[in-house]
Amino acid sequence: MEKISEIVASPVTNRTLLLLLVLVPFLSAFFVSLFGRSSRRIALTLAFVHLGLTFFVVVLGTMHLNVRAEGTSSRTTDIVRFHPTFIPGDTAGKSGEDGRTGWTLMRLTDAPTSANRSGPYVQFFIGMDGLNLWLVALSSIMLIPAILVSWESVKTRPGAFYAWMFFLQGAAIGAFLSFDVILFYVFFELTLIPAFFLIGRWGEGSARRDAARKFFLYTLAGSLLTLIGVLGVVVTNPDPTTGQITFSLPDLMANVQHWLKVAHDEALAGKPEKLASLHTTQMWLFIAMMAGFMVKVPIWPFHTWQPAAYGEAPIGVTILLAALLAKLGTFGILRFVLTLLPDAAIMYGLPVVGSFAAFGIVYAALCAYAQRDMKLMIAYSSVSHLGFLVLAIFAFNAEGLSGSVLHMVNHGLSTGAVFALLAFLLDRYRTTQMSQYGGMMGRFPNFAVLAFILCLASIGLPGLNNFVSEMLMLAGLFHADVPHGHHYTLAFIAAFSIFLSSWYIMTMLQKVFFSPLKEPLPADPETTVPASDVSRREVFAFGSLAGLCLLLGLYPQPILDSLKTDVKALTQIGNGARARVKGEPVPVESATPPVSTANPTPPPKIVPKKGGGGKKDRKDAKGGGGEEEE
Amino acid sequence: MNPLFDTQLQDTLKGVFRLVVPEIALIGTACVVFLFGCILNRRWLWFTVSFLGVILAMILAGTVKTHTPELLTSASIVPDATANFIRWVALISAAVLLFISWPEVSRSTAAEYYGCLLVAVAGASLVGRANDLITLFLALELISIPTYILLYLPVRTKLNQEAAGKYFLLSVMSSAVMLFGFSYLYGLTGSTNLAVITDTLTKANSETLSPMALVGIVLFIGGIGFKITAVPFHFYAPDVYEGGPGGVVAMLAVLPKLAGFVALARVLGLVGGDTRHIPFDANTQLPLLLWILAILTITLGNVLALLQDNIRRMLAYSSVAHGGYMLIGIVVACSIPDATGVMTRSDGATKVIGPSVGGIDALFVYIVAYGLMTFGAFAVILYLSTPERQVDSIDDLAGIGQTHPISAGTMAIFLFSLIGLPLTAGFAGKLMLFMGAFTAPADTATMRNLYRLLAVVAAVNAAIGAYYYLRVIGVMYLRTALKPIQSSRAAPTLIGAMVLAGATLFFGFYPQPLVNAARKAAPVPEIPVTITADAK
Repeated sequence: MEKISEIVASPVTNRTLLLLLVLVPFLSAFFVSLFGRSSRRIALTLAFVHLGLTFFVVVLGTMHLNVRAEGTSSRTTDIVRFHPTFIPGDTAGKSGEDGRTGWTLMRLTDAPTSANRSGPYVQFFIGMDGLNLWLVALSSIMLIPAILVSWESVKTRPGAFYAWMFFLQGAAIGAFLSFDVILFYVFFELTLIPAFFLIGRWGEGSARRDAARKFFLYTLAGSLLTLIGVLGVVVTNPDPTTGQITFSLPDLMANVQHWLKVAHDEALAGKPEKLASLHTTQMWLFIAMMAGFMVKVPIWPFHTWQPAAYGEAPIGVTILLAALLAKLGTFGILRFVLTLLPDAAIMYGLPVVGSFAAFGIVYAALCAYAQRDMKLMIAYSSVSHLGFLVLAIFAFNAEGLSGSVLHMVNHGLSTGAVFALLAFLLDRYRTTQMSQYGGMMGRFPNFAVLAFILCLASIGLPGLNNFVSEMLMLAGLFHADVPHGHHYTLAFIAAFSIFLSSWYIMTMLQKVFFSPLKEPLPADPETTVPASDVSRREVFAFGSLAGLCLLLGLYPQPILDSLKTDVKALTQIGNGARARVKGEPVPVESATPPVSTANPTPPPKIVPKKGGGGKKDRKDAKGGGGEEEE
Repeated sequence: MNPLFDTQLQDTLKGVFRLVVPEIALIGTACVVFLFGCILNRRWLWFTVSFLGVILAMILAGTVKTHTPELLTSASIVPDATANFIRWVALISAAVLLFISWPEVSRSTAAEYYGCLLVAVAGASLVGRANDLITLFLALELISIPTYILLYLPVRTKLNQEAAGKYFLLSVMSSAVMLFGFSYLYGLTGSTNLAVITDTLTKANSETLSPMALVGIVLFIGGIGFKITAVPFHFYAPDVYEGGPGGVVAMLAVLPKLAGFVALARVLGLVGGDTRHIPFDANTQLPLLLWILAILTITLGNVLALLQDNIRRMLAYSSVAHGGYMLIGIVVACSIPDATGVMTRSDGATKVIGPSVGGIDALFVYIVAYGLMTFGAFAVILYLSTPERQVDSIDDLAGIGQTHPISAGTMAIFLFSLIGLPLTAGFAGKLMLFMGAFTAPADTATMRNLYRLLAVVAAVNAAIGAYYYLRVIGVMYLRTALKPIQSSRAAPTLIGAMVLAGATLFFGFYPQPLVNAARKAAPVPEIPVTITADAK
């Protein structure tokens, strides 16, 4: 018994599991592509295998993160770094955790590796921490509904179709897990190839080729600029003791903080030139780096590829695009922009990007209301919701950050699920035009119940998952402490977006489910059997997601707990940056345990217990949001 | 002492032959092929003989021991690391070209075709080791002259004729311009030896700048610009690529570029010797000239490629654009004399570090990646072309994703590599070049932030380039064939394409071997670091 637990908890097992998490989708892709008609069953099995692996990683990971959160709460240093664990190729060997990997892909130095371990190496450096664990879980979960809704609809070359789906999933997971800046970029761009083929070959509309091309080129153009930005950060922040550049994110963020601190100390001593020049550099690099992420999220005005791509893609692919790929953009901001360009994130995050995002929130919400096609409506609603998410990230405080990580998971679940709902209609009627439907409540009562739950979750009804994260994000925004602060305006717009989203979603629900019965032509014109209600396959596809939405709405605490350490690290970076921008000394006290451990946790503890009323007594932000929904 | 009795000089001059044994083997094979080709012309026979010749050259290159000549200032050949790198690239290209050109070699001209190919490869390899203006010029001509014949061999249509004629005339003119530049360099320094020339000019430069030397170098760059298809000298490329036979065009796209860039690097003193001291002032117009050339080449190449419907013309402009990317490496290398590392340390110890990318090493990585994908793309086109039906327009490739999955798959890999997507060799090359442009110093008087701007321009252009490459991928996979095409069933070409695709992916996944080889060929110089006191 002892032995088993030893094996299970050993670092080697953890690392192997994490490596498998990235490799299994690629291997599955290869395997599935060998099959034809039977590939869908194999694909489903393999997706469940991956889910099983993820389950183990999540269990082991949360245990590990909780232990770590207790262990490190008393540690204070001025320079914070991420502490990824479960790293394949960990240099500490079998014995323990070192936080670095020895798997080098490309070395830009002739010096031997052993002498000092941080150097200009591009490495296969993947690891797990609080920020990416749940996104990986999301990636693993969402493939299953994506496969299930494609069950009947994908007729041509299903083997290749499912293979590209696995490829997409693998690339997304790889990007989430990367701790090497170049490796992240590699996986980030690798998602383009499967998405291009999936949209272009299996797309539903006549404009699918253009949509695929637009998606590919738009994202590529943005991400090449991101690469330039990342390289700029790498080159301008060498290691302070060895002078070597590094591509490893934990080392790089430490270097960034070191050089900023040096400049800040000089500025406090009366020589602000160095800090000013660093800030100018950061501004340019911020523009370059955000280019790719703003396209990927997408943030207005870079969103034009998105409705086309979502609209033309087969519905299973749309689920993956909305649930996973959009999160790559927000995750990139969280993981890379905040840590590598903290001062620019404070200076230009909310004021500039935030303004774009806020405008986009309202604009996309109005566009969503104007759509006749439900698929496009959800696509625009996604732009609107993700704008909110980006606002919360740039609030750069504990509530905003933990809320936004949680919301990435929640939004992935609920938007993916709403797209899966459309697959139900598409399988039966082959159209998503709102005007063609009516009175579906009586026609498909079971479907209607699930649809209500998921649509309400997407709006953010208390008791369902989005409520928790949206309230946290709002709290973060109201609490945001940025110069040129119009953060109250932004917070108000964000809160208003919740109202807007309930407006268009409710309108859709009313038209489709309540008006007199109106059915479009069935998908199969020969059939005489009337379309049936939710099948067992479909229950699994979005019923399980509805269950997850409810679960996360009632009990989000495990996720928030595991985020604690990393959010604290980010918050500390944010506080430092804020002080530098304002020209004050860094508030050392705020980074020490008593305040910051208290920060990220309290709101959710009270919120989720009961959906209905108990939230108004919290902060004004919550009260405001809650009222608008009811 | 009479220099005639100087034993060092004698050893140096006698030792030259040892340094070019593989090239002698190549040209010897070529002579055999030319000679007996008159008697018996069989494709498979001369293919085998040429292939054996290349293998022999490889064995000799691997086994013959060489040592650096005693008197570098009078040696016309240097066997340094750069030379060896270029030699291996040339020899491997020769083997690849033999395979992919299989379907277009006709029975009647097989011997001439293979013979010329071997001579051109020997020329490219010799350029890498030339240490003398005369040797350099002869080696460059050794590439050009067989190319004229190769372009003329299969001439049937007006298009072929135009290609051959155009290449011949412009190539001769560029050689003349280059020779004119050489005459300046010789007149100024009194020697044709490159080591002497760079030494003399470097010394002269430390006092004042010689405008005559600048004229000489600019004329030389003009001549080389033709070989590397830099923008004002690129006009021949689309017509020649369109009209020339596929295999020859593949060779033309790679070997002259390889030779041109290494010649440029040698004459500018960027490889071999002390790269911290170069025969011109790194602060003046020369880096700026190369910078402008690079920007023009990248941008114009990419923009004009957007407009092409003919796939060969598109590849021609794309090869122009890639020449521009490679010029970034040269521009970055010019910055090395100015490079300083700034370090802040509390203990004040001196630390010597090099920049992570030196420019020329990035160029070498890129040119290998470029060779892989260009050879590969032309191999696929050759494989899909038949004498009755050539693959000309991009639409001819419609639907081959279904009808010819293997060709389409390999072509897609080459195109993704040309775009520079991760996990292909093209990405490794672009990454190195971008890194190089960012490592270059940003605080010099003339160039200031121009190096970084170069990286941004290159990135934007890579996105523009993606448009036309992606168009081909879209045609191959997202459309159905209008007229299904027959493939030539040339197994060697297909095998060649698959091996190239494998190599493209391998160096994308694990670029380390390639990076190591390039760094060995062009070591990144060590740079003294200025220590500033820590604020604390």
